[in-house]
Amino acid sequence: MSPDVAPRVGQLSRDQAIWFAAVILSILVFAYLARHLEWETLWRYRGFLARGLATSIVLTVLSVAFGIVIGAILAAARLYGGKWVRYPVIALIELIRSVPQLLILLWVFFVVPELTGKTFTPEVSGFLALTVIATGYLAEVIRGGLMSVNRIQVESGYATGLSRRTIFLSIVLPQAIRNMLPALLATWVMLFKTTTLVYVIGVVEFFEAATIVNQRELIPYTIYTLLAVVYFICCYALSVIVHRLDPKYVLRSA
Amino acid sequence: MNWRPFIEHSDVLWGGFVLTLELMFFGVLGSSAVGLAVGAFANSKQFYVKKFASAYIEVMRNVPLVVKLFFLYFVVGLNAFPAALLSLIIHQSAFIADVTAAGLRSVPHEQTEAAFTTGLGSGQTFVSVLLPQFLRVTIPPFTNQAVELLKNSALVSLIGLQDLTFVAQNIQIETYRYRESFIVVTAVYVMLTFCIVGAMALLQRRLLTRS
Repeated sequence: MSPDVAPRVGQLSRDQAIWFAAVILSILVFAYLARHLEWETLWRYRGFLARGLATSIVLTVLSVAFGIVIGAILAAARLYGGKWVRYPVIALIELIRSVPQLLILLWVFFVVPELTGKTFTPEVSGFLALTVIATGYLAEVIRGGLMSVNRIQVESGYATGLSRRTIFLSIVLPQAIRNMLPALLATWVMLFKTTTLVYVIGVVEFFEAATIVNQRELIPYTIYTLLAVVYFICCYALSVIVHRLDPKYVLRSA
Repeated sequence: MNWRPFIEHSDVLWGGFVLTLELMFFGVLGSSAVGLAVGAFANSKQFYVKKFASAYIEVMRNVPLVVKLFFLYFVVGLNAFPAALLSLIIHQSAFIADVTAAGLRSVPHEQTEAAFTTGLGSGQTFVSVLLPQFLRVTIPPFTNQAVELLKNSALVSLIGLQDLTFVAQNIQIETYRYRESFIVVTAVYVMLTFCIVGAMALLQRRLLTRS
């Protein structure tokens, strides 16, 4: 780049100036539109909405936690199991991944009480369904992570006389975890967005809480803007972490 | 299991199947078009074009589909079908744009220069040098996105469009039996997924072994 084109330190390039102008303009436009938002009404329901958001977050965290454990078992079964273990596990994972989340939710809602003979609160059903969804996706994420470790590493481990357990725990697993971390967090983001669906079976999470407020106050514009903004902030924050962790993204920005 | 009540209601199932297919077809078409364009813009050399494209990707990816769907339906006030189709396209195109941008980046630009040097025209360069390499990386994630779109199309039942999921619930409500209709609908979704995956695998083999 020739020196007369390169921006000096402390000075904006033309493109950056246009970008900052665009950001400021969109903030102004948003502020203009936000004039009509009914903040006082929203503020009255702050506790209710915050409880909804907390429910969403708790559902996500729990289902990801359980999903990692069960998903790890399924991934191990798919990778290291015999023929009779591997194929049913593959079928199960592919079934979960190819059926709409909404349908999985309804299946769990109807089937689990029938199997156990008990009735569950919507929260528990929602948690179970989200765990099923998380398990399907995370099993593949974990499998991808385990497979990403170069075979030569394992062979070198054998060559230096390490036991199978040591190879897995101190060679494969640390690298696998590092490689699967971005995809894991991306699944986390996906699952947080999926929690919006559990309102169908009557869980009062953030989306349903906002819908209830909307039904009482009839302020759809405000409510759906709030929903979009809050979900964007939560998911974008997680996405930024994903980008930080992903070597591909780091390369891109360099 | 008793299939009789289900068979009596099975005529509505066909309507649901057709609607899901329509949404899938137009959704894949629309979101591919938008996604490819936005993905290309995200790789643009123009700083602000690039920024706007990535802003579109980030915003649309990080807002749940239901929120977009309800926004278009209840706030903007579109009819059910346009709202459903538009929200599906907006949602999936952001993901497709990300895949496209990554695919475009994966083809090193020395390839273009080398093709020009060997005397290929820009059209030929694009079709026989860049496109095969681009497709090789992007067809698998594209397949994923098409499957995701099919699965996401189940959400349109929430605004009352009578797609497969809606019909399944309706039959369950009318017959007090969920198993039969749910099994059939689940099987149909799995079958459609396999169709997408199979078609894409065929496309990949066709496109990539010829070169």
